[in-house]
Amino acid sequence: MRLPIESLVVSDLGAGLVVALLIGFGFGFVLERAGFGRATKLAAQFYLHDMTVFKVMFSAIVTAMIGLVVAGGVGLVDLDMVLRTGASSTFFWPMLVGGLLLGVGFIVSGYCPGTSVVASASGNIDGMLTFLGVVVGSVIYGEIYPLIASFATSSDWGQRFIPDALGVSRAVVSLVVTVVAILAFLGAEAVERIARTRWKLGGAGAAQDEPVSSGRDPGRRAALATLAVAAVAGLAVTPVWPAPAASSIRHPDGIDAGVLAHRVVETPWSIRVLDLRGEQAWTKARIPGSEPVDTGALDRLGLRFVEPGVDLVVVDSRTVRTLPAEIAAYRGRVLSLRGGFPAWERYALTTPRPPTAGASEAERGEHVFRAALNAFLTGQQAAAPPPPVRTVGPRRSGGGGGCS
Amino acid sequence: MERTDRFWNPYVAGVALGLVLLTSFVLAGKGLGASGAAFHLGVAALEEVAPEHVASNEHLSRSEGSHLENRLIFMVLGVVLGGLVSAFSAGRLGLRVVRGPRIGVAPRLGMAIAGGVIMGMAARMALGCTSGQALSGGALLSVGSWVFMMAVFGGGYGLAWFVRRQWT
Repeated sequence: MRLPIESLVVSDLGAGLVVALLIGFGFGFVLERAGFGRATKLAAQFYLHDMTVFKVMFSAIVTAMIGLVVAGGVGLVDLDMVLRTGASSTFFWPMLVGGLLLGVGFIVSGYCPGTSVVASASGNIDGMLTFLGVVVGSVIYGEIYPLIASFATSSDWGQRFIPDALGVSRAVVSLVVTVVAILAFLGAEAVERIARTRWKLGGAGAAQDEPVSSGRDPGRRAALATLAVAAVAGLAVTPVWPAPAASSIRHPDGIDAGVLAHRVVETPWSIRVLDLRGEQAWTKARIPGSEPVDTGALDRLGLRFVEPGVDLVVVDSRTVRTLPAEIAAYRGRVLSLRGGFPAWERYALTTPRPPTAGASEAERGEHVFRAALNAFLTGQQAAAPPPPVRTVGPRRSGGGGGCS
Repeated sequence: MERTDRFWNPYVAGVALGLVLLTSFVLAGKGLGASGAAFHLGVAALEEVAPEHVASNEHLSRSEGSHLENRLIFMVLGVVLGGLVSAFSAGRLGLRVVRGPRIGVAPRLGMAIAGGVIMGMAARMALGCTSGQALSGGALLSVGSWVFMMAVFGGGYGLAWFVRRQWT
């Protein structure tokens, strides 16, 4: 059996809920054991005398990162599928600003959303109120969303991964990240020592927690050594990993309605348009040549096995950001209609405004294309062009001839 | 040192957390999450009071399926259970307010809820919190997740000096 388990990837219900509950149990247990149920220990990260947050977070990231490389390298896990289903798109600016705000909320409340749950479970009233605040905050965000929607959806880079961006294999990036993390751990320990002894930070709080030098701890040595060895092993099981080759599959690039329209009309053989809105909506209005696709039975398309000759274009009622696994399995290029079907409606099914007087040749050409497409699709003739203005010249005076 | 202050070695805890995360990826193809459940709970509560308002809001009406019977809610239920079992077995279970040496109970609770509200909004904007974005996306080497993670530390260190009376 190849992992992940497909039924769990596709549906979150039934067995998926049980798995989520069990994984959540492990998550909560480990966080509590790490000391993350206690705001003073978490906040200490930002006062330098106890860097547990950094150490736990980065050893967890490194562990899972290497684990995926190894499991993918030996063929246990379909790593491409995990990347597609597990990662969100990168929205550069919203993520930067959201991160800064979350950091602010972290130092103000003493928790992050996940640790506030653990704190609540261990009886900390401050943790319960923080979680309540998170609930309220996410609803407030919904209320103010119309005001910031254009920012929140800006700089959409699609799913983007560091190995692809650098053009380096994932195993190499993992090894480098591991080495950097281990050096950063040693650095963090040095900072802790200086903060506690020289700057006298932490005081009573620091004394309560870990002893300053954890260097003699066998757990520390074992954990760090395991990570280093595993990172090298990751490189060994994935000798060559041509990262950029698969990138077009994982990140559905956007295509604007206008560009799509030109391709539909001019080079229809180069694309295949899949309409995910369902047959009913498709019957009412559709992109010419598109196929209605039942999202419940995508496997029937067999895209996994289709020769990647044409570009797939997926259309839904809004921009498709994460491709369903069966579509993502297509080996060729997959494009996603920006703005979904409404964008197509705006482009092709509404009467275009005529170009202004100073329009360039290209703009006028585009208008002619849009008007023709619109007329064809809606069955409406565009308003007849105004009759040519007759050039009124001086009438020739009738001079003879004819019967009078 | 009291027994209740004994925590796991941070690196051991980190590797254990990474294995939980890895298991989640390997079985279900998705990582961990916490703030998503808070959103679903909030929308479910608001739906009880003002269903039409929710339906007319572009952001709140966005998610499909049940707000309560979904993966994220069950995961957070699991976190509660796991935290409870761990705290109980370590002798750390009990009602209390965790606070720094120089701050009273009421201001501390005010800060707790205020920080929570900020994080709730931040996590929606960034499509995830420290669990879903930094940890899970970070392990997948997602560009946005690493940007987010750096920004979280940046925001925390940037404000730490101003709220030092709460913690030190």
